[in-house]
Parts: sequence; structure tokens; C-alpha cells
Amino acid sequence: MLDLAKSRWHPIAAAHDLPLRHVFHGQLLGREFAVWRADDGYVNIWENRCLHRGVRLSIGINDGRELKCQYHGWRYSNRTAGCTYIPAHPADAPARTITNRTFAAIERYGLVWSAEEPQGEVPEVAGLAEGRLLALRGIPVNAPADVVAARLKGYRFQPSGRIDGSAAKVAVEAASTFSVVLRSSEADATTLAVFFVQPVDSNRSVIRGVLDGQVEGAARLAVLRHHNELLSRLRLAVEAEAAREPAPAPLEPVIERVSPELAEMPEESKHGRKATIRVEVARKWLAADGIAGFELRPIKGLLPTFQPGAHIDVHLPNGLIRQYSITNGPGESDSYVIGVKLERDSKGGSTCLHETVREGDVLAISEPRNNFPLRRDSVKTIFIAGGIGITPLLAMAQALNNQNLVHELHYFAQNEAQLAFPEKTSTLGASLKPHLGLSPDQTGAKLREILSGYGPDKHVYLCGPGPMLEAARHIAAEMGWPETAVHFEYFKNTNVIDDSTSFEVALARSCMTLTVPAGKTILEVMRDAGIDMPSSCEQGACGTCLATVIEGEPDHQDVYLNDAERKSGTKIMTCVSRAKSARLVLDL
Amino acid sequence: MITLYDYELSGNCYKLRLLMSMLGVDWKTVPVDFYPGREHKSDWFLRINPLGQLPVIDDDGLILRDAQAILVYLASKYDAAGTWYPRDNPALLGEVSQWLAFADGITATASAARLHDALFYDFDVEAARTGAHRLFRILDEHLWFGEQEGRDWICSASHPTIADIACFPYIMLSEEGGISRQDYPAIRRWCDRVKRIKGFTVMSGVFPAGPAKAA
Repeated sequence: MLDLAKSRWHPIAAAHDLPLRHVFHGQLLGREFAVWRADDGYVNIWENRCLHRGVRLSIGINDGRELKCQYHGWRYSNRTAGCTYIPAHPADAPARTITNRTFAAIERYGLVWSAEEPQGEVPEVAGLAEGRLLALRGIPVNAPADVVAARLKGYRFQPSGRIDGSAAKVAVEAASTFSVVLRSSEADATTLAVFFVQPVDSNRSVIRGVLDGQVEGAARLAVLRHHNELLSRLRLAVEAEAAREPAPAPLEPVIERVSPELAEMPEESKHGRKATIRVEVARKWLAADGIAGFELRPIKGLLPTFQPGAHIDVHLPNGLIRQYSITNGPGESDSYVIGVKLERDSKGGSTCLHETVREGDVLAISEPRNNFPLRRDSVKTIFIAGGIGITPLLAMAQALNNQNLVHELHYFAQNEAQLAFPEKTSTLGASLKPHLGLSPDQTGAKLREILSGYGPDKHVYLCGPGPMLEAARHIAAEMGWPETAVHFEYFKNTNVIDDSTSFEVALARSCMTLTVPAGKTILEVMRDAGIDMPSSCEQGACGTCLATVIEGEPDHQDVYLNDAERKSGTKIMTCVSRAKSARLVLDL
Repeated sequence: MITLYDYELSGNCYKLRLLMSMLGVDWKTVPVDFYPGREHKSDWFLRINPLGQLPVIDDDGLILRDAQAILVYLASKYDAAGTWYPRDNPALLGEVSQWLAFADGITATASAARLHDALFYDFDVEAARTGAHRLFRILDEHLWFGEQEGRDWICSASHPTIADIACFPYIMLSEEGGISRQDYPAIRRWCDRVKRIKGFTVMSGVFPAGPAKAA
């Protein structure tokens, strides 16, 4: 009988079955897999089912970084299988939590191994040395795995060094339900052959054979053909034998319902500034003059899926919490790379990262959060970065570049030495347009040139120092860009916050009325009352603590909302903004 | 100007659309309502092809039937580089012809199963599927050893030939006849390569591949 143990490792493919930019269609014990190797070499084994409409992902497109479903174009990230893009919602970042089911993947002996709930290690085979072996062509057989394995015990073959002989003695060195180890010897030649039988389904198997020792050139082909011919003959016999038995019912894998928090847009999260992820500084380097690059790798497990434009909170050893954009391109999911500009006259966040934090240090970070989402339905996207403002736009430009969507990245800096992450920007080719050493007036003139020719469905994304953003927003408005097409992110809020007012805040859903006194923020008062509201920068720049206003007139003091959003009076940043009216009703 | 008597869901018509697209040849289409209209058995069509089969082309008065024959004609006439149907290479030409005949076998099995499942033809579908799997095993083995020898295509040339075009459509559409390609990983990889040929075009049921990794 078939051992259905979900904990047992089985080979599900040969390493050569996974060339770049291909999706292999695998199956183990009735469960189908979409198997693909990303350009960085990582092997992904996923449930063969798009979370959206259940279409097989094995017919999808492996673009080297992400897997795209053929049906409605949902894109899933290398490693995490987190959804990064839903074309039907081009203006929204999909919830980071929409994630397909993944399975363990290990490459060993020229084969790719998996299991539903693996325990222990992939079995070690005495006598098989990694790198010094030959993987045979996999032979699919329409017969149960145990029947195939039993038949393999009688397999007779020539050792690789005497392929033309006919007098080899073959001994069974070991055998189990799913594997057989044979040794063939003739004269001075001897070859160890290990056959793993992959249980594809109750009545389907694949024979995956591996020989010890390397054979080169024409001899290699002769050995491969020798076994292919003999195993094909064995297959005919086993299939004839199996056909005499009634075919067992196919296995029916349980496709687990994805938990609601993985399948749906998340509810407003209940936690405040929590740093739930521990990362190690795997690399710290000078990414440009005055800018340190940090590569943050998870201590264990995988990092959550990020969307271009997302930032993380970094909790620093000196107690400060700072926000940094993730610069990674799509599919670069083994670490987060951030860029930190040294600002000596600030409160010490950047100084701490530049001078105190070293490679090997552990940092606490938040999950990525995206309040600067990228539309991908634009006919042309213009990115305008000033200095360190390159970081979120770099992630966005790489995403559009990977999808061949039209974009330009205008990068303003003092000089060439200040252009950060050349190894990433160089992949963008001609879409990268550096503008170096311009005076404020020259910058204005260049912005006019860049922003001339607004047309429908064009979008511009701005990130850089405050004065440059102000100038760019003014120029965009003058040149006819509607506010809905102008997206921006400030580093910090330089407004002088007036917290002298006192007012009442009613929380409609929580049935609670609170008084906000002078000197305290809405956010602080809500937290004091036990309402756990998400926040990040807490200075009115990042957009995390946004709340919907049902009634009352907000007193906006942030730099996140655009003018139209401010005038609408329906949104408020609870960390800095207050009320002009005596009472505000919030949808919380 | 070439006129193609065409049915959108026919893999045999798709072969010609594929090759003409890859060769950059212009053509116009006369749609023939194969199903449910059975227009290929109508009087006017039987005058063009007494066999009552699609596809047919009319190239400035030259009327030709049979997908494989038309592939030979189109490649001979319109491929200036002479690679799709290599007339000056007898050994390769023999291989091409051998696999064109193999493509007829795929039509007789995989296409028949699809006609049974999708267009309700009264065929022995189990025999058709068994026959298709037998051919697919042979082709998968051939392509797997080709990969081991550094060969990407069905024939032993460094470029695709009309043999690849003749075999591709009904392999790619086999699942519509209940024939999975899961057991044929080398065929699946070859399908990706065909989809990456410049000028490749899709039909209903055939999806595009993404770009190969730039070297």
C-alpha cells in the first residue's frame, strides 16, 4: 500500500527540469505543484492554484522575479508567494497578506525534493557524492510507486565504465517502499545506482535515478541512453502488470482553504508601533557619498511580501524609530535593502545607523507598510527623485521596468558620487535620467521640462527634500496635472505643529467620546483610552495613522494629504492634525 | 496576397497563421464556420477542397490544401533565409518530412480527442488519448536527449523548422482533449521555446510565454 506520510521527503523534479523562466508542473501524492526557479536561483514549490480563480499556476509566466497567473494577471513574489499586484485594482497595493501556499524545496543529488509537512532532513545516501553524480532522465510510469520499486529490485544494467559489456553482476544494496540501491560490477568497473520512486498519485509514479561518478562527453550520452532504454522496457512490463489490477482511485489532496487573513484585505491592524521582525545587518556599505546601504536579512523564516513604495520602521538601539523605504526590485525577497543618508543636525537616527550599527548587528523592524502605492495602469509614469528620495522610487521603477511599462526616473543630485545604488539604477537602462549639480532655478526649469506635456493616464511620483517637492507640486499644478495624478512622499513634516487647541473626538464605531487637551495628539489620547491605532512616523508624513472623518472640521497639519484630500475634510492624520470645530467624529 | 480559409479554433489553421506571422507574410482570412455550421462540407467549399477539410490557401490563384503541405510551400516561397524548410540540406529535409508525418499522427490522436470533448465528435476518445500519450512519450524522449546534446528543436538544426510548427498546435491544445502534458517536461520546455520565436502569435487556448532571460 502507498505510504501517504506527508512528512516524508520525495523528489518531485530533476534540477535540469527547472531552467530559468520556466514553470514545471509537478505532483506528489495527488497534490499538484507549480515549481519555478527565480533568476536568483531560488526554487519555489507552490500550490498549483491561483488564489483568485483557481487557475493552474503551472501555465503562468515566470518572469525571473515573480510568477504571473495567465488568467487575470495576479503576480506572486519569489520566495514568499505573496501577491504583489492585482491588475483589476491598479491603484491599490494588494494586501501584503494575500499569499499562496508554499512547500519546502531542497536540491540534492541533482533532484528537487519536497514534502507536504517535512520532518528531518532529505535522506542521505551513502556513496552518492554531491557534484560527482549523474541524474538520469525521469521515467513517468502509470503504476503505483510500491509496485515500481519492487520491480526495480530486479533491474539489470551495465556499470558506466563498461556500457558495452553484457556480463555485469547486479546486487541490491538496499531497498524500501520508495527507493532501491543497486550496484553493478563487471571486471574493474562498478557503478552505484540509486532509484527514488516519486509517488505522483495512487497509480502514477516517476522513476528518478542517480548514478555515482561523473561521465563526460559521448560516454555520458551512452550511459543516459543505456538506462533510458532499460528503464523504458521495465516501464512497459510494470504498466502491463498494473493494468491487470483494478486501478486504485486517484488521491484527492485537500486544498486547504486559505485563512481569511491571508485571502482578504486585512482589517485595520490593532497594533501600534510594533517591531515584530528581527533582522541581521548582512551587509553595510557606502551606497553613495553620505549614504549608507543596509541589507537586512531575516533571523529566521522569510520576510513578508512588500510592494514597491513600501517602508519599514527601524527600531534603533538608541530608542528612536525611523522609517526607510525598501529599495528592492520585484522578487528580491531574501532581504530588504534600505538607504540611509547621514543628517548630522537631526535627532540622531541616521547618525546611529551610520556610526553605531555594524554588520552582524540585529535590528527590530516592523512589517512593510505601503502608503505610497504605485499605479500600474498609467500610459507613462514619471518618477522625480531628489537625493535620498530615490529609495521608494527605485523600487517602483524596477517594478515597472520588469513589466516593460513606460517610465522615466529623473534623479536629481549634487554630483555623480551622490547617486545611490548604482548596481540597481544601472539595470534601468535609458529610463534613468540623472540631473546633476543644478541650482534651484535650474532645477525649476528642468522640472518644467519634465512635467510639460501632461496627458490623460500619466502619473508622476515625487520624493525628495521639502522645498523641491513644493516646487514640483506647484509646477505640476501649473502645467495642468490634476492632483489625482501627482503622488508624493515627504521625508519629514517641517510644519510647526500647533497643539494648543482642545476639542472632543467621538469614535463612531467604538462608541467612545474622548477629550483631546492642548499638548496631546488625537493618537495619544486614543492610545491612552485603550484604542490601539497603527502609526509609524508620528509626525504627519507617512500616512499610516490615517482616519476617516465623518463629521467636524479637521485642522490639517500633516504633509501626507494632498490639497483636494484636505479640502474634502474627510481624512485626518491623527498623529499631528487636530480640529477647528469643537467636535470631530471619526470612523474608528 | 495569400488568402487563408480559416477557422479560429482549428490547430491546423493555426499552424499556418503561426508560420506566416513568423515569416512576416501578410494574408487575409476567409472565415469558414467549421462548427456548428459545417461550412467545410458546404457546396462552395467542396469546390475548393473536395476533401472538405481545413485549412486551404489561395496564393494568387494557386490553391493548396493540407496544413503540412502548405507549411512546405510557404516556407519554400517566403523564407528568404531558407531555414524553416532547408531545401539544400537533404539529411535535414528528411528529418523535417519524418516529423511532418509525426505531426499527422498527433492530429489523428490529440486533435481527435479534442474534437470529441469540445465539438462532440463521435470518436473513440480513449483510443485517441492512448495514441497521443504514446506519441508524446516518444517526442519527450527525443527532446530530452536533444537538450542533453545541446539541441533546442525537433530536427537537428540550430534553428526551428516547420516540423516544430507542425507539431506545436495540437500538443499545446491537448488538454482540451483530456491529455495532460504533466508527464512530458521536455515537451513543456520546448513549448516555451516555440512561444519565444519572434513573430509567435496565440490562439484561443494557447497562452504566451514570458521573455527569456537576457544573456
